[in-house]
Parts: sequence; C-alpha cells; structure tokens
Amino acid sequence: MILQETSLEDTDMDRSKGRKLFMTVLCLVAVSGALPIADLLDRAAQHSDRLHSLSTLLTQEMDTHFPFMEQGTTPQPSQCHTSTLEGPTDKVQALQVSEHTLMSLLRSLLQSWAEPLAFLSASANTLPHPAHSSIFNKIQQLQQNSKSLRHGLDILSARMGPAAQVVSILPFYRNDPGDKISKLINLQFQLNCFRRDSDKIDSFLKVLRCRSGRMRPDLC
Amino acid sequence: MIPSTTTAHNPTAHSHNAQDFCVEEFSVTARHRESVSQGVNPRWNISTFLSTFPSIMTVSSKYCPLLLVVSLFFTPGCAFLSDWDDSAAPLVPHFTACVSREMTTFSCWWNPGSFQNLTSSQDIKIIYHKKSPIKSEWNECPQYDFQNRECYFDAKHTEVWVTYCLEIHVHNVTYTNEDDCFTLNDIVRPDPPVALNWTLLNLSPSGLRYDVLVSWDHPPSADVNSGWMSVEYQLQFREVNSTKWKDMEIQSQPKQTIYGLHIEREYEVHIRCSMKPYSKFGEFSKSIFIQVTGTGDDGTSFPVMLVLIFGISGIVIIIMFIVVSQQQRIMMILLPPVPAPKIKGIDSELIKKGKLEELNLMLSGGGVGGLPAHAPDFYQDEPWVEFIEVDTEAADCGEKEENQGSDTQRLLTLSQPVPPHMHIGTCNVNCFPGDDSGLASCYDPDHPDQDPLISMVTLLPGQPEDREGVSDRGLDPVRATAPQTWVNTDFYAQVSNVMPSGGVVLSPGQQLRVQENKDESKKGSNPKACEENATDVHFQLLVVDPEMTESKQNSTPSTPPGSVEGYQTVPPQTLESRPTEELQSTYILPPESPQSPVFTPVADYTVVQEVNSQHSLLLNPPAQQVPPPSCQSQHPLKPLPAMTVDYITPELFGHLSK
Repeated sequence: MILQETSLEDTDMDRSKGRKLFMTVLCLVAVSGALPIADLLDRAAQHSDRLHSLSTLLTQEMDTHFPFMEQGTTPQPSQCHTSTLEGPTDKVQALQVSEHTLMSLLRSLLQSWAEPLAFLSASANTLPHPAHSSIFNKIQQLQQNSKSLRHGLDILSARMGPAAQVVSILPFYRNDPGDKISKLINLQFQLNCFRRDSDKIDSFLKVLRCRSGRMRPDLC
Repeated sequence: MIPSTTTAHNPTAHSHNAQDFCVEEFSVTARHRESVSQGVNPRWNISTFLSTFPSIMTVSSKYCPLLLVVSLFFTPGCAFLSDWDDSAAPLVPHFTACVSREMTTFSCWWNPGSFQNLTSSQDIKIIYHKKSPIKSEWNECPQYDFQNRECYFDAKHTEVWVTYCLEIHVHNVTYTNEDDCFTLNDIVRPDPPVALNWTLLNLSPSGLRYDVLVSWDHPPSADVNSGWMSVEYQLQFREVNSTKWKDMEIQSQPKQTIYGLHIEREYEVHIRCSMKPYSKFGEFSKSIFIQVTGTGDDGTSFPVMLVLIFGISGIVIIIMFIVVSQQQRIMMILLPPVPAPKIKGIDSELIKKGKLEELNLMLSGGGVGGLPAHAPDFYQDEPWVEFIEVDTEAADCGEKEENQGSDTQRLLTLSQPVPPHMHIGTCNVNCFPGDDSGLASCYDPDHPDQDPLISMVTLLPGQPEDREGVSDRGLDPVRATAPQTWVNTDFYAQVSNVMPSGGVVLSPGQQLRVQENKDESKKGSNPKACEENATDVHFQLLVVDPEMTESKQNSTPSTPPGSVEGYQTVPPQTLESRPTEELQSTYILPPESPQSPVFTPVADYTVVQEVNSQHSLLLNPPAQQVPPPSCQSQHPLKPLPAMTVDYITPELFGHLSK
C-alpha cells in the first residue's frame, strides 16, 4: 500500500508538473494559436488517462477492505447524478456524433463532478476505513487532475466554436447519511459513478483525438 | 445512501436469508428465488446485513463467519469479472464467461450443469436486463448458439456504460448467481494480435548472440483506427525447451526488440494484448519460432581474439616479472641517486662520527685512503677553485728527501739537506707564471725560506706529529730563517676577490700572490706587492637599492685607512646600467681601480647589525682591528693556542695575525 502511495505521489509530482506544462502550453496556444488541436487533444487524452487510472485504483482500494460491498455498490445508472446526461452509448453513436456535441458533453461531465469531488474529499477524511488517508490523497489528486483537464477543455472548446460551449452542469444532491457505514457505502458508490464517467470521458477524448489527427496515425 | 428497492424484512426472514447467503457464498449454488422473477431486487441490503450480523452469528451455523472470510477470496457474484474455474462446476446451470472482444459486441457462455439435452430454446432461456434510467424489461438473449452454449449480443443490443444482468431460465426455473451483472468495460478482452514476425537486427561481434525485432499487427477486430479502442501489447518469449516464459514490457507500439538471443537456440514467442484502461488481457497469439544458425565466422574470429588476449596478458605478466626482479637496477637507471657530498677516499661515516683525527690523516694523504695524488680533473677549468695539488712529482720529490710518509710532513720539511728551493722548484710544477690555476699553495720558488704551511699546521688539530715537529723546531728558527711575507697560506683559504688580471684576492689578513710578481725579484717587490695587495685587499659591499636610480660608485668611504671606527657603513649603490632592475642580492664588485685607498679590512665573517635609513648596512666591527698585512714588518708568527675549532673566527684570526 505504501509503495502504491509513493508511486502515486511521484506520479502526482509528474502530474503537477505535467499540469503546469499543459497549462502553459494551452495558454501559449490561446495566445498564439500555433499549436494544433490534435496536440492539445493528445495532451488532454493523457490527462484523462491518468484520471481514469486514478479512479480505478481508488475504487479498487476501497474494495480491498470491504469486498462484500462490491456487490451492493455496482451503481445503477439511475442512481448516479450524471445519469441524465444523454450521450452516445455505443461505438456507432460515438463515431457519428459531432465533435462539438462530444466536447460539450465532456465538459458537462467534468463540471458536474467538480462539486461532488470536493464534497467527497471532505467526507473522506473521516472515513472508518483503514486506508482513509491514502484514499483522501487520491481524491485530492482526482480533484486537481479534473480541474486541470477542465481548464484544458475550456481552452480547446474555445477554439472549436460556439457549439462546443454549451455546458450543462447537473445538480448534485448532498445527502449526508448519519452513520459512518452509510457514509462509506455512499462514498464507494459515488466513486464507482465517477469511475464510469471518467471512462466515458476517456473514450470520447480518444475518439476526438483520433478524429482530429487524420494525418497522424500515432494519435490513434 | 443506496435507495434500495427491498422493503424492510422481518428478522426471521433476515436470518433465513442470511443463512442462505452464507451457504450460497460457499457452495455457489443458484437459489431458487421466485422473488427474483417478480422483480424484487435480490441484492442484499448491506446495511441491514451488517446490522443483523450479530444475529447471524448466533442464529446461523458457526461456519458462517468462516464462510464470510472465504467469501473475501471468492466472489461468485462476479463470475464474469474473475476468471472462472470450470473444473469445480456445480450442478446448476450457470454462466461460465462473458467476453467482449471489441467493445461493440459480447458473448456469454453457459454451462447447463446437471441438465443435459438443453438443445432448444424451450429448455433454456437467457434473460437479461439492463439497469438503465428507463426501467427496461427483461429481454431474451438476442442470439443463441446452442452448440457452443453461447449467447451472443450484437452491436445493437450492446451498450457500453450500462450494467447488464443475466439469468438462466431452465424449465421455467430461474437460476441466477448473485448479481451476474457487469458493465462492458469489465469484460473487454481483445483478440490476439496478428501477423507476428521477426527480423534479424544485428549480430554481436563474437558471433554468438543476436538481436531480433519482432513486429505484429493489431487485432483486426479492435477498431484502433477510429480511436474507439486503444490497445497495449505484451510479448513473451522463451527457449523452446524451457518452461518459463519471459515477459517483456507492456507497450503500445506494434513492435519490440529482443536483445541477446543465442545462436543455435530456438526461441518461441507469443503475444497478447489488452485494452489500455482496463488491463484485462486477451488470449495469446500463436507462437512463432526464432532461430538463427551460426555462420562460419564463429570458428575463426573467436579463437583469434582469445589468442590475442592471452598473448597480451602473457607479455604483460612477463614484463611485470622483469620489473619486479630487476627492481633495483631499474630504479637506479630511472632515478639515479644523488651523489652525496663526498671526498674521494674518505668515508662519510668518519665525518659524521666526528673523527677528525683520522679525517685529517686521510686528508693529508697518510693512511690507506689518502687523497689522490692528482687533483680531480673536473676542477681544471674552474680557476677560482683552490685546492692543494700534491702530485706524483711531489712524490718523486719526496723521495729525494727523507720520506716521512706523509705529504704534510713533506711539505713541512724545514730541516733538509736538500736545498728547499730546489726541492720546491722541482716540485712545484704547477706554478707557472701566468698560470691561472690560482693555486694558493703555489708559492714562489725563489723563496725557499717560505714555509707556507706553518700556520696551516697549527690550524689543523690533532696532528701531534706535526705540531710536535713544529714545536720542536720552534717557530723562532722559522721566524729567523724565513723572513717571509707569505704566511698564512692555508690549505683552505677564502677567496674574496678575483682580479681582472686573473689574480685571486684572498680574505683579508693574507697577502695576495700576484702571478705577475713571481718572476720579479721579490724581496724588494714584496712591500710593493704588499702595498698593491693591500690596496687590493678591500672589498666593497654593495647593496643594490632599486629606488636609487643613479649609480654611485663607492670607491671609498671617507675614512682614512686604519682609522678605527665603530662601524663601517656601506652606502647603497646601484648599477648604472639598469636603474629599474629588480632588487639584486648583495654581491661583490671587483675593485674599480687598484689605486683606491685602503680601508679597514672587514673580517671573514661579519655580522650585519642593521640597515640604517639610507639603506646602508651596518656591520659588526671585527673583534679586533686587524691591521693590514703589514708590509713593513714581517708577519710574525705566534704560537697558537691549541684549539679544536673547525673554522676561523675573527678572534682567532686576530690571534694569528698578531
């Protein structure tokens, strides 16, 4: 566990550096407009990769100590607060949908998770879980990563046109159960929801990236 | 809080269900649950489960906690998430695996269990439902394959981020595992890559190893080009006759280099891939075999290298042996020892021990290790070096007289039948007029009465014979017989000046032997020579001061000769040639003119008292004012006290001169 933590901390260092680099690159791009969208999307896809792997690790860590909860926490789509967001559900649809729609969907997803992540990180501090500090750290990293990805996508969408600017932020209802077990269950459920959504984000970004770099097979 | 569709159960039902739960956890038997078909959520309400845990402990069998612990390792509800071992198959129909190969479609395989003859759709039904916001109904498997016992979901029926739950209905009886539910990304296992081939990259210089580049293509079913799937590869290789596979790194390039394979060995290589975020690998591809046969070069190049290496190491070892064995000689050659100051024929140990008697004996030529008869040759070209020449002719001369066996005595013989001048004349072969050898001991042959060695004899301690001889003879007869002016010519005399004419000025207190005066009549010229010598016997101590730009030649301090002064000042001078020159050390200039007046001679060793403001050196006066070597009077000889000093101090010198 400790090794995992340190490796993640190292990756966090890289990530923060990468994030800064990403931000500077994007700022430069915003000013100069020299960097092509393909590279920007590549960078964003890498970010979402890390986001997804982080969330997977997090759910696994939650599950290692309470395996019997796994069965009860496979989230039903109706129960995640982002389930009302309509989006492509299979490959055909994903490939047909326009880039702007995809981009606005991505941004909506990310924006919708900003507040819940903050709430979850606050509640993760007092978890009755043996690895609650590491979980708390990971949630913090998730927050930072999603924040940087959000900014990056904002800049990207600015270059894509007005249609990509449509963002719908879904409400998140903070239900604060009293007892700690319920808190734990709730957290696990929410993290599974987030994992699912991060998977969506990752897939869509990769589709976008491949689509934007037609001349560059290395992007696909 | 998970909104649960279950209603609150009464405790008995709880315990009953809990027990069943435990049992099912352990034995993986499908429950006959009619409640399932009615749409009640069969999933256990975890909170209620936890709350009733104590009751479970008491009510159910005592194996329940153990079962619970075992369930930690075994979650049959996730039959599709973990690898299923079919060998321990229970008897009820169940699903063995669900796999999606390209994230577009998927298939599930079932096992009928104890039921045989489930060949038609009437016997078995696969029902699924998707947990979507819109509460969908339960659907039947879109495509059955009874041969393979497979239920295939095509693209239309596949949705990605949706949870599927599957059930088996056999004869209207529902068999289900606990939560055979999954989402598509949990079951993605891509097909193995295709077109696996290898090319030889390079051969090692020894010809025994080689590198290989293995390349392949992504599985055709995975839609990599549109970006829907991103695939990672893992290569494994091993030697054909070994059982352990070696893993290479997981990477997303469709090529990989394997380094360091051996010639003449056959290798087996296969590869599998996974979808990047999900880390579940598909099956391995078919193996390819790599083998490179050795060429003929192996035989020749390798032994040549070996021979070279051995030869060189052998040579190095031999050289080392030589160096080690001949160490001393080599050290002598490379780093010749610095010759210690040594007089030939005299053991330096004697000097160290302070045995001056033997030393003097040897110096004088007596004993075994006497000084060589000839002067060392390497001093020939340095005229200012004074030494005593006792050569073979002297030895011949010595034979004519009474041979006392020592050069000193030969030199000292006073009472001899042979007229000394003849003796001396024949013996002093080195005293040629105009000879610049500068021999101090070269005395005028026309003055046979000279005994230049008297004082030297007195100076040399530890020569009882000579002293005795001297004392026996007494100095008075010498004084009487040798009204000489050439006294105090020692074995060792300090040169204070070199005249431009080539003569040598000895330290004050002694008289200059001018070569030119040798042939003249000496009696009369002696005083003149004395004067000349006296005039020359002065030296100037010049201190060069760089600040002084003009040169001052100090020919004379304005002191009358012979005046007694407490101190003698030597004002500073500079060379007129280079006024800006660096400060030179003190040096001695030859006297500018022979007519320069005499000033009080300075002793051999004078202590510089101080430097006054005018940058002149204040010297210590000699202990006694030594009068210039008197030309007026003969130089008296005085009996010297017995002394054992090694050098002359001014006091002693004063004694001598008086």
